[in-house]
Amino acid sequence: MKAMAEVRYSTHFVRFQEERCTGCAACLRVCPTKAIRIRQQKSIRIVNQCIGCGACIRACPAGAVSAATIGFEGIGRDHVAIALVSPVLYAQFPGVTPGGVLLGLHRMGFRHTVDMSFFLEMFQYAAEEFIRRNRLSPVSPWPLISPICPVVVRLIAFQFPSLLPHVLPVLRPVALMAREVKKQILPAHTSQGQQVTLYFINPCPTKAEIRSDGRGVPPEHREAAIGINDLYAELKRQVDQILDSDLIPYSGSGYEFETCSSGNAALGAMSGGEISNMEIEKSLSVHGLQETIAYLHKIEMGVLKDFEYIEFRTCREGCLGGVLTAVDPYIAKRNVQKMIGVFGLGRRLPRDTILRLYEKGRFQPDQNPQVLTRLFGACKPALSLEEAQRIEAILDLIEGRDCGACGSPDCLTFAEDVVRGNAALTDCIWLQARQQKKS
Amino acid sequence: MKDTMSGLQKSFFIKARDFVHAGEASIRVQQLLKTMHFDPRLIRRIAVCCYEGEMNVVMHGGDGHLRMDLDRLVLNLEISDDGPGIADIELAMQPGYSTASDEQREMGFGAGMGLPNMKKNADEIAIESPPGKGTRVRMRFFLNAGG
Repeated sequence: MKAMAEVRYSTHFVRFQEERCTGCAACLRVCPTKAIRIRQQKSIRIVNQCIGCGACIRACPAGAVSAATIGFEGIGRDHVAIALVSPVLYAQFPGVTPGGVLLGLHRMGFRHTVDMSFFLEMFQYAAEEFIRRNRLSPVSPWPLISPICPVVVRLIAFQFPSLLPHVLPVLRPVALMAREVKKQILPAHTSQGQQVTLYFINPCPTKAEIRSDGRGVPPEHREAAIGINDLYAELKRQVDQILDSDLIPYSGSGYEFETCSSGNAALGAMSGGEISNMEIEKSLSVHGLQETIAYLHKIEMGVLKDFEYIEFRTCREGCLGGVLTAVDPYIAKRNVQKMIGVFGLGRRLPRDTILRLYEKGRFQPDQNPQVLTRLFGACKPALSLEEAQRIEAILDLIEGRDCGACGSPDCLTFAEDVVRGNAALTDCIWLQARQQKKS
Repeated sequence: MKDTMSGLQKSFFIKARDFVHAGEASIRVQQLLKTMHFDPRLIRRIAVCCYEGEMNVVMHGGDGHLRMDLDRLVLNLEISDDGPGIADIELAMQPGYSTASDEQREMGFGAGMGLPNMKKNADEIAIESPPGKGTRVRMRFFLNAGG
Protein backbone atom coordinates (compact mmCIF):
# COMPACT_ATOMS: atom_id res chain seq x y z
CA MET A 1 0.00 0.00 0.00
CA LYS A 2 2.73 2.43 0.97
CA ALA A 3 5.66 0.82 -0.75
CA MET A 4 8.84 2.29 0.62
CA ALA A 5 10.74 1.78 -2.63
CA GLU A 6 8.61 4.31 -4.45
CA VAL A 7 9.17 7.01 -1.92
CA ARG A 8 11.73 9.54 -2.99
CA TYR A 9 11.16 12.40 -0.67
CA SER A 10 9.70 12.43 2.73
CA THR A 11 9.60 14.49 5.87
CA HIS A 12 8.87 13.43 9.43
CA PHE A 13 5.19 13.62 8.56
CA VAL A 14 4.52 13.06 4.85
CA ARG A 15 5.82 10.99 1.94
CA PHE A 16 5.93 11.97 -1.72
CA GLN A 17 5.73 9.38 -4.48
CA GLU A 18 7.26 10.87 -7.57
CA GLU A 19 5.84 8.21 -9.87
CA ARG A 20 2.36 9.49 -9.18
CA CYS A 21 3.22 13.19 -9.25
CA THR A 22 1.88 15.03 -12.29
CA GLY A 23 3.68 18.27 -11.48
CA CYS A 24 0.45 20.22 -11.05
CA ALA A 25 1.90 22.36 -8.25
CA ALA A 26 -1.19 22.09 -6.03
CA CYS A 27 0.90 21.07 -3.00
CA LEU A 28 3.35 23.94 -3.50
CA ARG A 29 0.72 26.58 -3.14
CA VAL A 30 -0.93 25.27 0.02
CA CYS A 31 2.24 24.59 2.01
CA PRO A 32 2.32 27.15 4.84
CA THR A 33 6.09 27.00 5.25
CA LYS A 34 6.70 27.08 1.49
CA ALA A 35 8.72 23.91 1.85
CA ILE A 36 7.99 22.23 -1.50
CA ARG A 37 9.55 22.86 -4.90
CA ILE A 38 9.09 21.09 -8.21
CA ARG A 39 12.11 20.76 -10.43
CA GLN A 40 12.10 19.59 -14.08
CA GLN A 41 8.29 19.52 -14.05
CA LYS A 42 7.85 16.70 -11.57
CA SER A 43 10.78 16.10 -9.32
CA ILE A 44 9.83 17.08 -5.79
CA ARG A 45 12.26 18.72 -3.41
CA ILE A 46 11.72 19.56 0.21
CA VAL A 47 13.64 22.73 0.91
CA ASN A 48 12.11 24.01 4.11
CA GLN A 49 10.69 22.89 7.43
CA CYS A 50 7.68 20.53 7.31
CA ILE A 51 5.36 21.13 10.26
CA GLY A 52 3.01 18.23 9.53
CA CYS A 53 -0.17 20.15 8.72
CA GLY A 54 -1.18 17.72 5.98
CA ALA A 55 -2.31 20.44 3.56
CA CYS A 56 -0.30 18.82 0.74
CA ILE A 57 -2.04 15.47 1.29
CA ARG A 58 -5.40 17.21 1.04
CA ALA A 59 -4.39 19.22 -2.03
CA CYS A 60 -2.83 16.46 -4.14
CA PRO A 61 -5.30 15.24 -6.80
CA ALA A 62 -2.97 12.44 -7.90
CA GLY A 63 -2.58 10.65 -4.57
CA ALA A 64 1.16 11.23 -4.63
CA VAL A 65 1.35 12.49 -1.05
CA SER A 66 0.58 10.34 1.94
CA ALA A 67 1.05 10.47 5.69
CA ALA A 68 4.08 8.91 7.30
CA THR A 69 1.87 6.67 9.41
CA ILE A 70 1.86 2.88 9.40
CA GLY A 71 -0.88 0.46 8.37
CA PHE A 72 -2.59 -1.72 10.98
CA GLU A 73 -1.49 -5.14 9.73
CA GLY A 74 -0.24 -7.47 12.42
CA ILE A 75 -1.27 -5.41 15.38
CA GLY A 76 -0.78 -7.26 18.64
CA ARG A 77 0.50 -10.39 16.91
CA ASP A 78 3.89 -10.61 18.59
CA HIS A 79 3.62 -7.74 21.01
CA VAL A 80 1.28 -6.02 23.42
CA ALA A 81 -0.56 -3.34 21.48
CA ILE A 82 -1.84 -0.28 23.32
CA ALA A 83 -4.19 2.08 21.48
CA LEU A 84 -4.02 5.75 22.43
CA VAL A 85 -7.30 6.98 21.06
CA SER A 86 -8.00 10.44 19.72
CA PRO A 87 -11.60 11.54 20.48
CA VAL A 88 -12.07 11.98 16.75
CA LEU A 89 -12.38 8.21 16.44
CA TYR A 90 -15.69 8.17 18.37
CA ALA A 91 -17.16 10.73 15.98
CA GLN A 92 -16.65 8.36 13.05
CA PHE A 93 -19.32 5.93 14.30
CA PRO A 94 -22.83 7.36 14.60
CA GLY A 95 -25.00 5.60 17.17
CA VAL A 96 -22.09 3.76 18.74
CA THR A 97 -20.94 4.58 22.25
CA PRO A 98 -17.27 5.38 22.90
CA GLY A 99 -17.20 2.13 24.88
CA GLY A 100 -18.38 0.25 21.80
CA VAL A 101 -15.66 1.80 19.67
CA LEU A 102 -13.02 0.86 22.24
CA LEU A 103 -14.38 -2.68 22.38
CA GLY A 104 -14.03 -2.85 18.61
CA LEU A 105 -10.37 -1.92 18.99
CA HIS A 106 -9.91 -4.74 21.50
CA ARG A 107 -11.33 -7.19 19.02
CA MET A 108 -8.85 -5.93 16.44
CA GLY A 109 -5.97 -6.97 18.66
CA PHE A 110 -5.33 -4.04 20.96
CA ARG A 111 -4.76 -5.23 24.53
CA HIS A 112 -5.38 -1.82 26.05
CA THR A 113 -7.35 1.17 24.83
CA VAL A 114 -6.67 4.55 26.35
CA ASP A 115 -9.21 7.34 26.08
CA MET A 116 -7.51 10.67 25.44
CA SER A 117 -10.48 12.78 26.58
CA PHE A 118 -9.71 11.67 30.14
CA PHE A 119 -6.42 13.53 29.83
CA LEU A 120 -8.03 16.45 28.04
CA GLU A 121 -10.05 16.97 31.23
CA MET A 122 -6.88 16.96 33.29
CA PHE A 123 -5.38 19.44 30.87
CA GLN A 124 -8.44 21.69 31.10
CA TYR A 125 -8.26 21.87 34.90
CA ALA A 126 -4.56 22.68 34.71
CA ALA A 127 -5.10 25.30 31.99
CA GLU A 128 -7.85 26.98 34.01
CA GLU A 129 -5.58 27.06 37.03
CA PHE A 130 -2.66 28.53 35.10
CA ILE A 131 -4.89 31.22 33.63
CA ARG A 132 -6.41 32.02 37.04
CA ARG A 133 -2.94 32.51 38.49
CA ASN A 134 -1.77 34.49 35.47
CA ARG A 135 -4.59 36.96 36.13
CA LEU A 136 -3.32 37.50 39.67
CA SER A 137 0.38 37.67 38.88
CA PRO A 138 1.13 37.65 35.17
CA VAL A 139 3.98 35.45 33.99
CA SER A 140 2.79 34.92 30.41
CA PRO A 141 1.45 37.49 27.92
CA TRP A 142 -2.22 37.52 26.86
CA PRO A 143 -3.73 35.97 24.88
CA LEU A 144 -2.42 32.54 25.78
CA ILE A 145 -2.46 30.08 22.90
CA SER A 146 -3.64 26.49 23.26
CA PRO A 147 -0.72 24.05 22.94
CA ILE A 148 -2.99 21.17 21.89
CA CYS A 149 -2.64 21.35 18.10
CA PRO A 150 1.05 20.58 17.49
CA VAL A 151 0.89 22.12 14.01
CA VAL A 152 -0.01 25.47 15.55
CA VAL A 153 2.92 25.30 17.96
CA ARG A 154 5.31 24.36 15.15
CA LEU A 155 3.88 27.11 12.96
CA ILE A 156 4.60 29.58 15.75
CA ALA A 157 8.17 28.31 16.11
CA PHE A 158 8.64 28.58 12.34
CA GLN A 159 6.94 31.81 11.45
CA PHE A 160 6.02 33.63 14.67
CA PRO A 161 8.87 33.05 17.15
CA SER A 162 7.94 36.22 19.04
CA LEU A 163 4.69 34.47 20.02
CA LEU A 164 6.33 31.46 21.71
CA PRO A 165 5.84 33.03 25.18
CA HIS A 166 2.09 33.03 24.43
CA VAL A 167 1.90 29.24 24.18
CA LEU A 168 0.23 27.95 27.36
CA PRO A 169 2.98 26.17 29.35
CA VAL A 170 0.87 23.17 30.30
CA LEU A 171 1.62 19.63 29.16
CA ARG A 172 -0.58 18.58 26.23
CA PRO A 173 -3.24 15.87 26.74
CA VAL A 174 -1.44 13.48 24.41
CA ALA A 175 1.79 13.90 26.38
CA LEU A 176 -0.04 13.40 29.69
CA MET A 177 -1.60 10.29 28.22
CA ALA A 178 1.68 8.83 26.97
CA ARG A 179 3.37 9.52 30.30
CA GLU A 180 0.59 7.87 32.30
CA VAL A 181 0.54 4.81 30.03
CA LYS A 182 4.29 4.40 30.35
CA LYS A 183 4.05 4.68 34.11
CA GLN A 184 0.98 2.55 34.76
CA ILE A 185 0.44 0.05 31.96
CA LEU A 186 3.85 -0.48 30.43
CA PRO A 187 5.76 -1.92 33.45
CA ALA A 188 3.25 -4.74 33.94
CA HIS A 189 4.15 -6.08 30.49
CA THR A 190 7.80 -5.17 30.11
CA SER A 191 8.59 -6.76 33.48
CA GLN A 192 7.42 -10.04 31.94
CA GLY A 193 9.66 -9.53 28.96
CA GLN A 194 6.83 -8.66 26.61
CA GLN A 195 7.42 -6.28 23.73
CA VAL A 196 4.99 -3.33 23.87
CA THR A 197 3.97 -0.90 21.13
CA LEU A 198 2.05 2.32 21.72
CA TYR A 199 -0.17 3.10 18.76
CA PHE A 200 -1.34 6.69 18.50
CA ILE A 201 -4.60 6.59 16.55
CA ASN A 202 -4.60 9.97 14.88
CA PRO A 203 -6.80 12.12 12.66
CA CYS A 204 -3.77 13.89 11.17
CA PRO A 205 -0.17 13.18 10.17
CA THR A 206 1.32 15.16 13.03
CA LYS A 207 2.40 11.90 14.67
CA ALA A 208 3.63 11.64 18.21
CA GLU A 209 6.13 14.04 19.68
CA ILE A 210 9.39 14.18 17.85
CA ARG A 211 12.09 13.32 20.31
CA SER A 212 13.70 16.62 21.15
CA ASP A 213 16.42 15.43 23.47
CA GLY A 214 18.34 13.56 20.78
CA ARG A 215 17.94 10.24 22.56
CA GLY A 216 16.02 7.43 20.93
CA VAL A 217 12.82 5.84 22.15
CA PRO A 218 13.55 3.48 25.08
CA PRO A 219 14.19 -0.06 23.83
CA GLU A 220 11.49 -1.79 25.87
CA HIS A 221 8.73 -0.29 23.82
CA ARG A 222 8.05 1.16 20.41
CA GLU A 223 5.77 3.97 19.32
CA ALA A 224 3.86 4.24 16.07
CA ALA A 225 1.15 6.40 14.54
CA ILE A 226 -1.87 5.02 12.69
CA GLY A 227 -4.26 7.16 10.68
CA ILE A 228 -7.94 6.74 11.52
CA ASN A 229 -8.61 6.12 7.82
CA ASP A 230 -6.15 3.19 7.87
CA LEU A 231 -8.10 1.19 10.41
CA TYR A 232 -11.60 2.54 9.79
CA ALA A 233 -12.85 -0.26 7.52
CA GLU A 234 -11.78 -3.05 9.88
CA LEU A 235 -12.98 -1.22 12.99
CA LYS A 236 -16.33 -0.55 11.32
CA ARG A 237 -16.70 -4.28 10.68
CA GLN A 238 -15.93 -5.07 14.33
CA VAL A 239 -18.24 -2.37 15.66
CA ASP A 240 -21.10 -3.55 13.42
CA GLN A 241 -20.64 -7.10 14.73
CA ILE A 242 -20.76 -5.82 18.30
CA LEU A 243 -23.98 -3.94 17.56
CA ASP A 244 -25.54 -7.02 15.89
CA SER A 245 -24.65 -9.40 18.69
CA ASP A 246 -25.92 -7.18 21.52
CA LEU A 247 -22.69 -7.71 23.42
CA ILE A 248 -22.55 -6.11 26.80
CA PRO A 249 -20.53 -2.91 26.40
CA TYR A 250 -16.92 -3.25 27.33
CA SER A 251 -16.35 -2.74 31.04
CA GLY A 252 -13.46 -4.99 31.92
CA SER A 253 -10.71 -2.41 31.98
CA GLY A 254 -8.24 -2.06 34.79
CA TYR A 255 -7.79 1.69 34.68
CA GLU A 256 -10.35 4.42 34.61
CA PHE A 257 -8.86 5.95 31.49
CA GLU A 258 -9.21 2.73 29.55
CA THR A 259 -12.83 3.31 28.79
CA CYS A 260 -15.13 6.22 28.36
CA SER A 261 -18.78 7.10 28.84
CA SER A 262 -19.14 10.85 28.72
CA GLY A 263 -20.26 13.30 26.08
CA ASN A 264 -17.09 15.20 26.90
CA ALA A 265 -15.23 12.43 25.17
CA ALA A 266 -15.96 13.51 21.63
CA LEU A 267 -16.38 17.22 22.32
CA GLY A 268 -12.63 17.77 22.18
CA ALA A 269 -12.61 16.66 18.55
CA MET A 270 -14.74 19.60 17.48
CA SER A 271 -13.54 23.14 16.89
CA GLY A 272 -14.48 25.09 20.00
CA GLY A 273 -14.77 21.87 22.00
CA GLU A 274 -11.70 22.60 24.08
CA ILE A 275 -12.88 26.00 25.33
CA SER A 276 -16.64 25.42 25.37
CA ASN A 277 -16.60 23.78 28.79
CA MET A 278 -13.64 25.62 30.25
CA GLU A 279 -14.10 28.37 32.77
CA ILE A 280 -12.47 31.08 30.69
CA GLU A 281 -14.84 33.77 29.64
CA LYS A 282 -12.57 35.73 27.33
CA SER A 283 -11.65 32.95 24.97
CA LEU A 284 -11.94 32.27 21.24
CA SER A 285 -11.69 29.28 18.97
CA VAL A 286 -10.23 29.64 15.48
CA HIS A 287 -10.00 26.84 12.94
CA GLY A 288 -8.51 26.40 9.48
CA LEU A 289 -4.91 26.85 8.35
CA GLN A 290 -5.31 30.24 6.69
CA GLU A 291 -7.46 31.54 9.54
CA THR A 292 -4.90 30.39 12.08
CA ILE A 293 -2.11 32.18 10.23
CA ALA A 294 -4.22 35.34 9.93
CA TYR A 295 -4.99 35.36 13.66
CA LEU A 296 -1.38 34.68 14.62
CA HIS A 297 -0.48 37.73 12.54
CA LYS A 298 -3.09 39.68 14.46
CA ILE A 299 -1.66 38.64 17.81
CA GLU A 300 1.80 39.57 16.60
CA MET A 301 0.50 43.01 15.62
CA GLY A 302 -0.85 43.53 19.13
CA VAL A 303 -4.52 42.81 18.44
CA LEU A 304 -6.59 40.38 20.61
CA LYS A 305 -4.80 41.43 23.81
CA ASP A 306 -8.18 41.50 25.56
CA PHE A 307 -8.56 37.74 25.17
CA GLU A 308 -7.12 35.31 27.66
CA TYR A 309 -7.06 32.10 25.67
CA ILE A 310 -7.30 31.12 22.04
CA GLU A 311 -7.92 27.60 20.82
CA PHE A 312 -6.34 27.20 17.39
CA ARG A 313 -6.83 24.19 15.14
CA THR A 314 -5.28 24.24 11.69
CA CYS A 315 -7.91 21.83 10.33
CA ARG A 316 -11.36 23.07 9.38
CA GLU A 317 -13.93 22.21 12.06
CA GLY A 318 -11.05 21.20 14.32
CA CYS A 319 -9.59 17.70 14.54
CA LEU A 320 -12.77 16.29 12.97
CA GLY A 321 -11.46 17.82 9.74
CA GLY A 322 -8.10 16.07 10.00
CA VAL A 323 -6.80 14.75 6.71
CA LEU A 324 -6.61 11.16 8.01
CA THR A 325 -10.23 10.91 9.16
CA ALA A 326 -12.67 8.58 7.42
CA VAL A 327 -15.98 10.41 7.80
CA ASP A 328 -16.96 13.81 6.40
CA PRO A 329 -16.24 16.48 9.07
CA TYR A 330 -19.76 17.92 9.02
CA ILE A 331 -21.33 14.49 9.49
CA ALA A 332 -18.81 13.75 12.23
CA LYS A 333 -19.68 17.06 13.88
CA ARG A 334 -23.35 16.09 13.95
CA ASN A 335 -22.39 12.74 15.47
CA VAL A 336 -20.58 14.57 18.27
CA GLN A 337 -23.58 16.80 18.89
CA LYS A 338 -25.87 13.78 19.10
CA MET A 339 -23.51 12.04 21.48
CA ILE A 340 -23.50 15.05 23.78
CA GLY A 341 -27.29 15.02 23.62
CA VAL A 342 -27.36 11.42 24.81
CA PHE A 343 -24.61 11.46 27.43
CA GLY A 344 -24.63 15.09 28.47
CA LEU A 345 -21.52 16.93 29.48
CA GLY A 346 -19.70 16.68 32.73
CA ARG A 347 -16.20 16.03 33.90
CA ARG A 348 -15.27 12.68 35.30
CA LEU A 349 -12.35 13.88 37.36
CA PRO A 350 -12.50 15.83 40.62
CA ARG A 351 -10.87 19.27 40.44
CA ASP A 352 -9.15 18.91 43.84
CA THR A 353 -7.16 15.87 42.78
CA ILE A 354 -5.95 17.54 39.61
CA LEU A 355 -5.01 20.75 41.43
CA ARG A 356 -2.91 18.72 43.87
CA LEU A 357 -1.04 17.26 40.90
CA TYR A 358 -0.73 20.77 39.47
CA GLU A 359 0.94 21.95 42.69
CA LYS A 360 3.44 19.13 42.33
CA GLY A 361 4.41 20.41 38.87
CA ARG A 362 2.97 17.42 37.03
CA PHE A 363 1.69 19.58 34.17
CA GLN A 364 4.90 21.38 33.43
CA PRO A 365 6.01 20.83 29.83
CA ASP A 366 9.32 19.03 29.54
CA GLN A 367 10.20 20.88 26.36
CA ASN A 368 11.31 24.47 26.44
CA PRO A 369 10.40 26.73 23.53
CA GLN A 370 14.01 27.08 22.43
CA VAL A 371 13.97 23.40 21.48
CA LEU A 372 10.99 24.08 19.23
CA THR A 373 12.83 26.93 17.56
CA ARG A 374 15.72 24.58 16.89
CA LEU A 375 13.47 21.84 15.51
CA PHE A 376 11.02 23.95 13.54
CA GLY A 377 12.50 27.44 13.29
CA ALA A 378 13.31 28.98 9.92
CA CYS A 379 16.40 27.11 8.73
CA LYS A 380 17.49 29.34 5.85
CA PRO A 381 20.40 31.75 6.29
CA ALA A 382 19.52 35.39 6.82
CA LEU A 383 19.23 37.57 3.72
CA SER A 384 21.44 40.63 3.52
CA LEU A 385 20.08 44.04 2.63
CA GLU A 386 21.52 43.71 -0.88
CA GLU A 387 19.86 40.33 -1.34
CA ALA A 388 16.53 41.71 -0.14
CA GLN A 389 16.91 44.53 -2.67
CA ARG A 390 17.65 42.05 -5.45
CA ILE A 391 14.47 40.15 -4.55
CA GLU A 392 12.45 43.34 -4.97
CA ALA A 393 14.18 44.04 -8.27
CA ILE A 394 13.38 40.56 -9.56
CA LEU A 395 9.73 40.93 -8.53
CA ASP A 396 9.55 44.19 -10.50
CA LEU A 397 11.21 42.53 -13.49
CA ILE A 398 9.10 39.37 -13.79
CA GLU A 399 5.69 40.93 -13.05
CA GLY A 400 4.47 37.42 -12.39
CA ARG A 401 1.08 36.09 -11.34
CA ASP A 402 2.05 33.59 -8.60
CA CYS A 403 1.38 30.84 -11.16
CA GLY A 404 3.87 28.31 -9.75
CA ALA A 405 4.95 27.15 -13.22
CA CYS A 406 8.58 27.80 -12.28
CA GLY A 407 8.34 25.21 -9.53
CA SER A 408 8.36 27.67 -6.65
CA PRO A 409 5.09 28.35 -4.80
CA ASP A 410 4.80 32.07 -5.60
CA CYS A 411 6.75 34.93 -7.17
CA LEU A 412 8.19 36.20 -3.89
CA THR A 413 9.52 32.76 -3.00
CA PHE A 414 10.81 32.30 -6.56
CA ALA A 415 12.73 35.58 -6.35
CA GLU A 416 14.17 34.46 -3.03
CA ASP A 417 15.14 31.08 -4.57
CA VAL A 418 16.92 32.90 -7.42
CA VAL A 419 18.82 35.14 -5.02
CA ARG A 420 19.82 32.16 -2.91
CA GLY A 421 21.07 30.38 -6.04
CA ASN A 422 18.40 27.66 -5.99
CA ALA A 423 16.52 28.65 -9.14
CA ALA A 424 17.29 30.35 -12.44
CA LEU A 425 15.58 33.56 -13.52
CA THR A 426 14.88 31.88 -16.88
CA ASP A 427 12.50 29.46 -15.11
CA CYS A 428 9.86 32.21 -15.08
CA ILE A 429 7.45 31.72 -17.98
CA TRP A 430 6.23 35.33 -17.82
CA LEU A 431 9.73 36.62 -18.29
CA GLN A 432 10.33 34.09 -21.09
CA ALA A 433 7.16 35.17 -22.89
CA ARG A 434 8.09 38.84 -22.68
CA GLN A 435 11.59 38.21 -23.96
CA GLN A 436 10.29 36.17 -26.90
CA LYS A 437 7.93 38.96 -27.85
CA LYS A 438 10.82 41.41 -27.89
CA SER A 439 13.07 39.31 -30.11
CA MET B 1 13.34 62.63 -0.97
CA LYS B 2 13.42 59.21 -2.56
CA ASP B 3 16.55 59.87 -4.60
CA THR B 4 18.70 60.59 -1.61
CA MET B 5 17.89 57.27 0.02
CA SER B 6 20.00 54.25 -0.70
CA GLY B 7 18.17 51.55 1.24
CA LEU B 8 15.37 49.16 0.35
CA GLN B 9 12.14 51.03 -0.20
CA LYS B 10 8.63 49.75 -0.45
CA SER B 11 5.30 51.49 -0.59
CA PHE B 12 1.87 50.10 0.18
CA PHE B 13 -1.51 51.61 -0.58
CA ILE B 14 -3.99 51.73 2.31
CA LYS B 15 -7.66 52.03 1.43
CA ALA B 16 -10.02 54.01 3.64
CA ARG B 17 -12.55 51.97 5.64
CA ASP B 18 -11.22 48.70 4.23
CA PHE B 19 -11.14 46.67 7.45
CA VAL B 20 -10.79 43.39 5.56
CA HIS B 21 -7.36 44.17 4.12
CA ALA B 22 -6.10 46.32 6.98
CA GLY B 23 -2.89 44.85 8.31
CA GLU B 24 -1.63 43.41 5.02
CA ALA B 25 1.09 46.02 4.56
CA SER B 26 2.23 45.30 8.09
CA ILE B 27 2.41 41.58 7.31
CA ARG B 28 4.52 42.20 4.20
CA VAL B 29 6.96 44.32 6.17
CA GLN B 30 7.21 41.62 8.84
CA GLN B 31 7.79 38.89 6.25
CA LEU B 32 10.67 40.84 4.76
CA LEU B 33 12.26 41.49 8.14
CA LYS B 34 11.87 37.83 9.11
CA THR B 35 13.82 36.63 6.05
CA MET B 36 16.59 38.94 7.23
CA HIS B 37 16.49 37.35 10.73
CA PHE B 38 15.99 40.49 12.76
CA ASP B 39 15.31 40.02 16.45
CA PRO B 40 11.71 38.74 16.86
CA ARG B 41 11.05 41.36 19.56
CA LEU B 42 12.15 44.16 17.25
CA ILE B 43 9.99 42.76 14.44
CA ARG B 44 7.08 42.67 16.82
CA ARG B 45 7.53 46.33 17.79
CA ILE B 46 7.62 47.24 14.12
CA ALA B 47 4.57 45.07 13.41
CA VAL B 48 2.56 46.81 16.12
CA CYS B 49 3.48 50.26 14.76
CA CYS B 50 2.69 49.32 11.15
CA TYR B 51 -0.66 47.88 12.13
CA GLU B 52 -1.71 50.76 14.37
CA GLY B 53 -0.67 53.19 11.63
CA GLU B 54 -2.63 51.29 9.02
CA MET B 55 -5.69 51.15 11.25
CA ASN B 56 -5.52 54.89 11.86
CA VAL B 57 -5.66 55.47 8.12
CA VAL B 58 -8.43 52.93 7.60
CA MET B 59 -10.54 54.41 10.41
CA HIS B 60 -9.90 58.14 10.17
CA GLY B 61 -7.66 59.00 7.29
CA GLY B 62 -9.15 58.52 3.88
CA ASP B 63 -6.79 56.76 1.46
CA GLY B 64 -3.16 56.67 2.40
CA HIS B 65 0.23 55.01 2.09
CA LEU B 66 2.66 53.11 4.23
CA ARG B 67 6.22 53.59 3.09
CA MET B 68 9.25 51.86 4.45
CA ASP B 69 12.90 52.57 3.91
CA LEU B 70 15.38 50.08 5.26
CA ASP B 71 19.13 50.52 5.38
CA ARG B 72 21.84 48.93 7.42
CA LEU B 73 21.21 50.90 10.57
CA VAL B 74 17.63 52.08 10.63
CA LEU B 75 14.15 51.32 9.42
CA ASN B 76 12.09 54.38 8.62
CA LEU B 77 8.34 54.07 8.38
CA GLU B 78 6.09 56.76 7.06
CA ILE B 79 2.32 56.51 7.19
CA SER B 80 0.52 59.29 5.40
CA ASP B 81 -3.07 59.99 4.42
CA ASP B 82 -5.17 62.75 2.92
CA GLY B 83 -7.80 62.68 5.64
CA PRO B 84 -9.05 65.48 7.89
CA GLY B 85 -5.93 65.50 10.05
CA ILE B 86 -5.64 65.45 13.83
CA ALA B 87 -7.11 68.49 15.58
CA ASP B 88 -5.09 68.19 18.78
CA ILE B 89 -2.04 65.95 18.50
CA GLU B 90 -1.16 66.19 22.19
CA LEU B 91 -4.63 65.01 23.12
CA ALA B 92 -4.50 62.21 20.54
CA MET B 93 -1.29 60.93 22.14
CA GLN B 94 -3.09 60.40 25.47
CA PRO B 95 -3.92 56.74 26.10
CA GLY B 96 -7.65 56.15 25.81
CA TYR B 97 -8.45 59.29 23.87
CA SER B 98 -10.37 58.37 20.73
CA THR B 99 -12.49 60.00 18.06
CA ALA B 100 -13.71 56.67 16.70
CA SER B 101 -17.41 56.31 15.95
CA ASP B 102 -19.67 54.06 18.01
CA GLU B 103 -19.86 51.72 15.06
CA GLN B 104 -16.07 51.39 14.91
CA ARG B 105 -15.95 50.76 18.66
CA GLU B 106 -18.53 48.04 18.30
CA MET B 107 -16.26 46.43 15.74
CA GLY B 108 -13.60 46.28 18.45
CA PHE B 109 -11.53 49.21 17.29
CA GLY B 110 -11.03 52.76 18.52
CA ALA B 111 -9.78 52.05 22.04
CA GLY B 112 -7.67 55.19 21.86
CA MET B 113 -4.38 53.29 22.02
CA GLY B 114 -3.18 53.77 18.43
CA LEU B 115 -0.77 56.66 18.71
CA PRO B 116 0.26 55.84 22.30
CA ASN B 117 1.14 52.31 21.17
CA MET B 118 3.16 53.65 18.27
CA LYS B 119 4.99 56.04 20.56
CA LYS B 120 5.72 53.22 22.99
CA ASN B 121 7.08 50.86 20.33
CA ALA B 122 8.99 53.17 17.98
CA ASP B 123 12.45 54.49 18.83
CA GLU B 124 11.52 57.89 17.39
CA ILE B 125 8.21 59.29 16.26
CA ALA B 126 7.14 62.52 14.60
CA ILE B 127 3.59 63.50 13.71
CA GLU B 128 2.63 66.27 11.32
CA SER B 129 -0.96 67.15 10.74
CA PRO B 130 -1.44 70.64 9.30
CA PRO B 131 -5.17 71.48 9.09
CA GLY B 132 -6.77 70.16 5.94
CA LYS B 133 -3.59 68.57 4.62
CA GLY B 134 -3.85 65.06 5.99
CA THR B 135 -1.58 63.38 8.50
CA ARG B 136 1.96 62.10 8.27
CA VAL B 137 3.40 59.88 10.97
CA ARG B 138 7.08 59.08 10.71
CA MET B 139 8.73 56.45 12.86
CA ARG B 140 12.28 55.26 13.17
CA PHE B 141 13.67 52.00 14.50
CA PHE B 142 17.33 51.37 15.28
CA LEU B 143 18.14 47.92 13.99
CA ASN B 144 21.09 46.98 16.11
CA ALA B 145 19.56 47.92 19.43
CA GLY B 146 17.81 44.55 19.78
CA GLY B 147 14.40 44.24 21.44
